[in-house]
Amino acid sequence: MNHLLELEGVSKRFGGVQAVDSVDFWADPGEIVGVIGPNGAGKTTLFNIVTGFYAPDAGKIHFDGHNLVGLKPNQITRVGVSRTFQAVRLFGAMTVLENAMVGQHTRTKAGVYGALLNTPRTVREEQKVHASAIDSLAFFGDRLTPRINSLASELAYADRRRLEIARAMATEPQLLLLDEPAAGMNPSEKEGLIELIGRLRDVKGYAIVLIEHDMPVIKGVSDRVVALDYGKKIADGTYDEVAANQQVIEAYLGKAGSEEQE
Amino acid sequence: MNPTAALKPGLIGGTVVIYLAAIGMVERFQDRNVITGVVGLGVVLILLTIAIAAYTAARKGRTPMPTGALVGLVAGGMVALITLGFEGLINAGVDVRGMFVSITPGLLETLEFGLNPALGAIVMALAGGTTGLVAGGLVGLKDEHLRSSIVFAVSMTLLISLGEPILRVTLGNLGIPTNWLYELGGLTIAGTIITLLAGFGLRWWLMGRKEKRQEIAAHMPEDTRRTWGRASLIAAILALIALPWVVGPFVSDVLGTVGLYVLLGLGLNIVVGYAGLLDLGYVAFFAVGAYAAAIFTSPASFLVTEEGETFAAAGFTNIWFAFPFVVIIAVVIGAMIGAPVLRLRGDYLAIVTLGFGEIIRTLVLSDWLAPFLGGAQGLTRIPAAPPESFDLRNPQHIYYVILAFCFVAAYISYRLADSRVGRAWAAMREDEDVAEAMGISVVRYKLLAFAMGAGVGSLGGVFFAAKIGSIFPNSFGLQVSINVLAVIILGGIGSIPGVIVGAAALVGLPELLREFGEFRLLIYGAILIAIMIFRPEGLLPNKRRQRELHEGAGSAPVELPEGASPA
Amino acid sequence: MTAPAPAPTPTEQSSRRLRFERIPMRRIILIVLSLSIIYGVVAGSTATLRTGVFTAEDWQSLIINGLARGSVYALIAIGYTLVYGILFMINFAHGEVFMSGVYTAYFVAVAFAGNGFLNSNPLIAIAILLLVSMAVSVFVAVILERLAYRPLRGAPRLVPLITAIGASFFLQYTFRGLYGANVRAYPNIEILQGKWTIFGIQMLKTQAIVIVAAMLLWVLLYLFVARTKTGRSMRAVGEDREIASLMGINVDRTIVATFAIGGALAGAAGILYVFLFNQVIFTMGFLPGIKAFTAAVLGGIGSITGAALGGLLLGILEAVGPNLFLTGANVPSPNQLQPVIAFGILVLVLIFLPGGFVGASEEKRA
Repeated sequence: MNHLLELEGVSKRFGGVQAVDSVDFWADPGEIVGVIGPNGAGKTTLFNIVTGFYAPDAGKIHFDGHNLVGLKPNQITRVGVSRTFQAVRLFGAMTVLENAMVGQHTRTKAGVYGALLNTPRTVREEQKVHASAIDSLAFFGDRLTPRINSLASELAYADRRRLEIARAMATEPQLLLLDEPAAGMNPSEKEGLIELIGRLRDVKGYAIVLIEHDMPVIKGVSDRVVALDYGKKIADGTYDEVAANQQVIEAYLGKAGSEEQE
Repeated sequence: MNPTAALKPGLIGGTVVIYLAAIGMVERFQDRNVITGVVGLGVVLILLTIAIAAYTAARKGRTPMPTGALVGLVAGGMVALITLGFEGLINAGVDVRGMFVSITPGLLETLEFGLNPALGAIVMALAGGTTGLVAGGLVGLKDEHLRSSIVFAVSMTLLISLGEPILRVTLGNLGIPTNWLYELGGLTIAGTIITLLAGFGLRWWLMGRKEKRQEIAAHMPEDTRRTWGRASLIAAILALIALPWVVGPFVSDVLGTVGLYVLLGLGLNIVVGYAGLLDLGYVAFFAVGAYAAAIFTSPASFLVTEEGETFAAAGFTNIWFAFPFVVIIAVVIGAMIGAPVLRLRGDYLAIVTLGFGEIIRTLVLSDWLAPFLGGAQGLTRIPAAPPESFDLRNPQHIYYVILAFCFVAAYISYRLADSRVGRAWAAMREDEDVAEAMGISVVRYKLLAFAMGAGVGSLGGVFFAAKIGSIFPNSFGLQVSINVLAVIILGGIGSIPGVIVGAAALVGLPELLREFGEFRLLIYGAILIAIMIFRPEGLLPNKRRQRELHEGAGSAPVELPEGASPA
Repeated sequence: MTAPAPAPTPTEQSSRRLRFERIPMRRIILIVLSLSIIYGVVAGSTATLRTGVFTAEDWQSLIINGLARGSVYALIAIGYTLVYGILFMINFAHGEVFMSGVYTAYFVAVAFAGNGFLNSNPLIAIAILLLVSMAVSVFVAVILERLAYRPLRGAPRLVPLITAIGASFFLQYTFRGLYGANVRAYPNIEILQGKWTIFGIQMLKTQAIVIVAAMLLWVLLYLFVARTKTGRSMRAVGEDREIASLMGINVDRTIVATFAIGGALAGAAGILYVFLFNQVIFTMGFLPGIKAFTAAVLGGIGSITGAALGGLLLGILEAVGPNLFLTGANVPSPNQLQPVIAFGILVLVLIFLPGGFVGASEEKRA
């Protein structure tokens, strides 16, 4: 078990659709892996399996010495996997700061008694939660920090994506799963995103797996690229290798025409 | 401008009046004097409907003063006319009494103001027209001070009149004579005039000082403000402590009931307001508390041994010893009921909890468990608890116990709301999946809320049993759950002050106005509908909850498809 | 612990805890729960059968009784299922829609009984009662939709449910105010008295009529939903309201039609209900309403066939269950516990088979 995250022969079926078909997948510490594939290739399903939202029909999933199969999503977060969602899902009625504070949940302990008695430990812990949330937000320069007390739902779209990443960072993960982080961003924001993902790895030391349709982003950040089609892994290698892979080209041209030229 | 604007509100108002008359509310309320010898509550109900119709009509067109009054007149007149038509129909001999039991001679008498039909019709038309004119005219009134003062004076007079049962006793206890103010349950004419003038003057004066007060408040240094806040909190607590001796035993009893509902409301608020779980079977825990308390303490309980030795002799002499055990039992039962069902989606959970409530009620009523739970006869003879000088059966005494537990529950709610636990609940309420992905064990936090709610609910049950001394199964119907739900929804889901206001309004008022009795659930139902449609966050909203509810209506949060379910 | 990452690594202790939680308390409670229920049912039933208190004929008549009341539940359940299928809300006030029609028709029945029409022209009289009951129920259902539910479309899920609970009590007490708080007995209809023997099984005429009438209505409804334009619109709106509206379907009208159909069936169910139970009172809608909802869930909410099957099954379980499971266990007056059976089934179905018979799925989210 040399890899941080390792999937072996993972499969998932929905009714008549084989959403994920015996996929082997791995990510190493500090590695950035891009996952590509046409719509419906099973990328998000794969994320949902890793994070425990779906139980795989078959296959093994190991992460940092833990067997993830059968663990609940919250337990998987606790062992160090965090994620963002394809359609940004923030707690819209909470402030930016509160969103990030929720992320600290697994790294803290205070329960009912702590809250009631307001013990020194609880007070210290609340301070830590606060500081750590501020810290996660500060990672995005002046994008989020000045808006700490605004509602999450009031943020601009790109900032919501950033906040979602900040919230995931607050869980203190080892592995970060980003589901289409560049969706809806303009070219300059994408530039920023590429730089950010690199920084997440370099500064925080995360391993990162990202699903992305945007090839320049994939090319810009990925150490390794994995391509899925119809639930199967069809290619795995450097960006250039995968981009030259005949099966990948067919999958894209057959499915979505010119998407590869972008 | 446009007189047809008045037609729709007029028509709706007329329908409402006929409805209120046909369900018997007008006649029943008429028994209550508002201004003794002049108007009863039944007539006030009709006039209020007219005023609201006229106000809405004038409001819609944003009509200036003269037209506003005109539109109001038309709308008010229409309501009066429709009422008269309805009355005429009955007078003409259309016999509907076989079907509509509430359409009685008494109703006709009310609608005719106790006069003969012709004269009554004239008075009705005049009263309706005038009310409409005034209410419509108020909308267009430029002078904010004047308008607000008039509205305030009228509302205050109405409240003082309706508050007669408390106020007369209270003022009497304080040695203030009330003969000049009240007569036969209503205001005297002189009292009405004085109250109207006083209300008008008070509001006028307050409005004049409003800006000045705001300015003072704005410039008050932080610590002064805090001192003021503390001082008013202490004053409020002192007032609460003095209350039962000021208002006397009857009102204290009502206060005790209100307090019980505050307690139940705070418990349910943790479940519904914090964790977002709609629990329609909350009465189950109330029942568990009351029955467990009775079983532990009553000599009628099956725990009495053959030799006549009571369980009580083993140390459970009374409620004080029993109640911690009762709470633990309720928490365990809550967790056991909760564990299997808390994974269910919100609306299913609501129905399942309702099912649990009904199961418990049926079991309590059944012959099967009658040897243990007393069946329809209930459990009686719950003994008094020491010290002897402090009798829980005395409403002025148990009030303090309930008050104390309300404080405890409020403190718990208050501390939890802004803690790690509270954040987890809030996150879960908004989006369970994401909360789970943030490491929050949704099942565990739901269970926590459910068990805490169960504990608080059972406390309510314990002191309900102690207060009444005997318990019967019919005290534990679905209505209790609905009452508590209505209390927290009216006040504002998730809001602690809201629970208090809700309980005072929904439990306190009807206890004081016996006329409400049979219409209580009708009014609760109407309140639930109206609040959900017009102000889902309630009267005293919890800020975060308010945002959630309005977010839902505006920019609907994008959801992943629910269950990539097998096709 | 191979990770060299600077992020705090989970300790050994946390991994142990995680392993422990693989067998959650929930599952243990569920297993204990289901085992004890199975034990109770099996032990109770064998004990009852061994005593031989009930003859085969007794069981037959209990089953017929169950089928008859189940037919009524099935008709009411269709109202829940249709509304749920299109709006995804539990119309908690549907029981009151059921009550309103039959309670109103009571006064017509009394008038007919008074002038002898009820027994001189029973078929016409019953048809008129049926029409009156259906019309009133439709009226109440449509008003309910218009005033209470329509303003709340798109609100968070629990908001319309709370409204519906409010509406339920509002309607109950409205009818109490209008018609009074007493229990009232429907006048007797002579031709419905007595028994028939069908396929060698003796049954009350009313039971046979209720079962046949309910089946007929169900078939009519099925054809309506499958064949007519309105039926197709209903299904389309249930699939995707926005797309349906883009396809030129009038969403508001379709929803109103759904409530109206549910109301009509509830109104008809009301008349069948008094054939069996003879009495009306303003609270009569509550229990049949909840039971019908249980039936709808049992069969898989959203499915018309499921509602019918769920209703029949629930009726039989309710009629047979207390006697079969409890008599042998020496439970006095087992029929008192009927609601426990109904609600117990509701709870169990929702726990173990949340999709009903039609489709149960473990994965429900993400």
